[in-house]
Amino acid sequence: MLRIESLSKSFDKGKTFALKDVSFSLKEGDVYAIVGESGSGKTTLIRLIAGLESPDHGFIELNGVQVSSIKKMVSPEKRKIGLVFQEYALFPHLTLFQNILYGISKQKNKTTRATEVLELVGLAEMKDRYPHQLSGGQQQRVALARALAPNPSLLILDEPFSNLDAMLRAQLRNEVFDIVKKAGVTAIFVTHDTQDALTVADEILILQKGKLVQKDAAANLYTKPSSVYVASLFGNTIQLSKELQSVFECPLKADCCHAIRNENIAINDECEYVTNATVLKKTFMGSDTQLYIKLDNGEHLTVITKHSHIDDRITIGFNSKDVLEFKE
Amino acid sequence: MKQAGSSNIFSIKNRLLRLKRDSNRWSLITLFLVFLIALPVISIAFKLFDGPGETWPHMVKNLLVQYLSNSFYLLIVCSFLVLLFGITTSWLVSRFEFPFRKQLEWLLILPLAIPSYIVAYAYAGIFDYGGTLELLQRFLGIEFTRIDIMNRFGLAFVLSISLFPYVYVSARAFFLNQANNLLEASRVLGVSEWNSFFRLILPLARPAIIAGLILVLMEVLNDYGAATYFGVSTFTTGIFRSWFSLEEPETAIYLSALLILIVFALILFEKWQRRKMQFTNAKIGNQRIYRKTVSKKMQLLILIIVSFPVLFGFLLPLCQLLYWAFLTYSAVFEYEFLMLSLQTFGIAIITAAVTVIAATALIFASKWNRIGIIKNISRLGVLGYAIPGAVVAIGVMIPTIHLDKWLMGVLNSAFSYSSGFLIHGTLIALVYAYVVRFLAVAYNPIESTTLKVSDTIPDASKTLGVGNFKTFFKIEFPLIKTGILSGFILVFIDVLKELPLTLILKPFHINTLAVKAFEYASDERVMEAAIPSLFIIFTAMLPVLFLNKLLVNK
Repeated sequence: MLRIESLSKSFDKGKTFALKDVSFSLKEGDVYAIVGESGSGKTTLIRLIAGLESPDHGFIELNGVQVSSIKKMVSPEKRKIGLVFQEYALFPHLTLFQNILYGISKQKNKTTRATEVLELVGLAEMKDRYPHQLSGGQQQRVALARALAPNPSLLILDEPFSNLDAMLRAQLRNEVFDIVKKAGVTAIFVTHDTQDALTVADEILILQKGKLVQKDAAANLYTKPSSVYVASLFGNTIQLSKELQSVFECPLKADCCHAIRNENIAINDECEYVTNATVLKKTFMGSDTQLYIKLDNGEHLTVITKHSHIDDRITIGFNSKDVLEFKE
Repeated sequence: MKQAGSSNIFSIKNRLLRLKRDSNRWSLITLFLVFLIALPVISIAFKLFDGPGETWPHMVKNLLVQYLSNSFYLLIVCSFLVLLFGITTSWLVSRFEFPFRKQLEWLLILPLAIPSYIVAYAYAGIFDYGGTLELLQRFLGIEFTRIDIMNRFGLAFVLSISLFPYVYVSARAFFLNQANNLLEASRVLGVSEWNSFFRLILPLARPAIIAGLILVLMEVLNDYGAATYFGVSTFTTGIFRSWFSLEEPETAIYLSALLILIVFALILFEKWQRRKMQFTNAKIGNQRIYRKTVSKKMQLLILIIVSFPVLFGFLLPLCQLLYWAFLTYSAVFEYEFLMLSLQTFGIAIITAAVTVIAATALIFASKWNRIGIIKNISRLGVLGYAIPGAVVAIGVMIPTIHLDKWLMGVLNSAFSYSSGFLIHGTLIALVYAYVVRFLAVAYNPIESTTLKVSDTIPDASKTLGVGNFKTFFKIEFPLIKTGILSGFILVFIDVLKELPLTLILKPFHINTLAVKAFEYASDERVMEAAIPSLFIIFTAMLPVLFLNKLLVNK
């Protein structure tokens, strides 16, 4: 339903690119997450999709119609894209109900529809309040209801949970995506938190420095990351250098780059590749214990284990199925 | 499609394609508005090609040196005096606690409510033969010693004492917002109060202070009423003279062009001195300044120093005017005067409304236009404020006369109807000139409230299917109406006080309070000028306080 082809955008006439040659397409009804650090071009990408920015190159097609290209721009108000802004952008001088009516004022059954979406987000009894009288989580849900009211063909949520504290965040994340699933709308949500993305997205798009580096289902991203960067987004990794390969006696392909996830290193001698190490420091971290160890060749590593009783001399190892391989 | 090289993306062909895509009617409207504002200056520039008038060589030989030396004398002496008054008062009220500090803090702004030509009339009345000072000295039995102030130093003093609040306001805003932590850090490092002020605070406050100073200097160059009353020949009086006495527009245009050059040099100097001064914008905490308590003697000394400009810039001229008003109210206060006041307020209201609409249109059209260069060009619209009123008036006259001649020709040939001037000499030309000159006055408060509304708010409205225009009325207007209101009031006041532009462009049968006061003063009936002057002052006073509140809150 959304197709993007070699999309580029620069804010300084080509010196640097906020977005460079990005292409992908999205299927109707799925939930997508766009993950990237700040400055990776996430916000630029969704502003381009919404029509709030115009591309320098490439095009965007929405439901088979070209909406942005170098020759043409369909204005944002004609795109039927719902956008939930990071800071919610509720209209401060309108009540909650008026905020929601705003986008559907021309519809016949607007009051019914507004009440419907308010019930969907569970705020029906607060409809006459003003935005500043609501908590952060409530404002978030109003913003969602307002964006859903006109039945957008695509819903975009920009860092929807970044302004909330950790507890509220997890709770609201599930609530919001229950609502999104119920509405059956295609949704893109932007986040820098991989946990958010893994929990709710059918597919995840990884942006790095303005480029799309991988687009895949969550499980695939974890097991088959396309680069060290992608691998590192989903947990700590240890790069398997030539030295480490010889210590563990695991010869790997020379023209590839390899890494192992920290949690895949085990403390026992039943692994395929093992070596001995001295524990230099143990740090208790609640359910886990972090070990700072020295391998026999002198290299230092940090590993995490669930065991609480650790000897000073240990054997560590990993299995070949857990080795990540990148072409770099 | 394969990898697109960046050179290809920014090829001329692709740039043009994007330019075509991004241009919309708002780009055109922005350019059109800027063109209208710039038209007077453009007209003057084009008229220069017609060559100077017959008297120009005479002007260059005999008068230009005088204009230049007097104008520069005023710029230098006024700079010195306004910096002295402005910086001392703003630092003392920001740093020290003393009796009546709160009252003096806003009283120090009130000199702005009195136009400088009115201060000039009042001072002339005090120091003249048979003036208030002589009466007072005679009453006290002291021998009369006359102080002559009708010269260029007297003029510089009068202008400075009535204009220093520009420096006071901008310096105080800096001292209140930024100076506290810096000063504390400096004192903790063992630097004395005196040294901290000169080595740290003053250099940091420099951009703010100079910004205020430039406003003062522009007003000095703009002044006609005070200079002509004191008999000092400046550029502005020279423009009037060549236009009205010598009846030589070409010479007036050449003088105007020179004056524009001086003003632009001032603006460039202001930009240059601010070139690397981002640090003044850095947030250094917004704690209020901790005011020092000093000994009773010191407090008294501070009180005297701070009261001086209030006394001489506001209370003294006000008392003189009230005294004159008491002597003349029965003669002046008649039906015609009431009509005159209504006429003035009417013109001010119309102008304020048009200016506010123009400023809002410029701000939003430039926002809705998607071409970056045009956004930058739109900032040129505020430069009209820098251009002296007399120059704006002449710049407006040139195109309006041309347009009128063309219109008359068209009407004559099409309907064989011979009309008079349709724009020149009418309210339209006057209001147009006011808008050119005062656009910035409305633009700044409206822009600053607009900047307070996050861009995502109108963006949200657009993604909800509502276009720019409707978004403005439903969302942005309710959120920025305080800015629009302050813009309206400030323009209203400026129109009330305006003299040189109004003198040149006002329609024959229409008058304003300012012009009336000027006419009384020119006819040697300066006492009668008091009533219209007081009307202007009292109307201007309330918003001056309002402006103060706005600046303190910022």
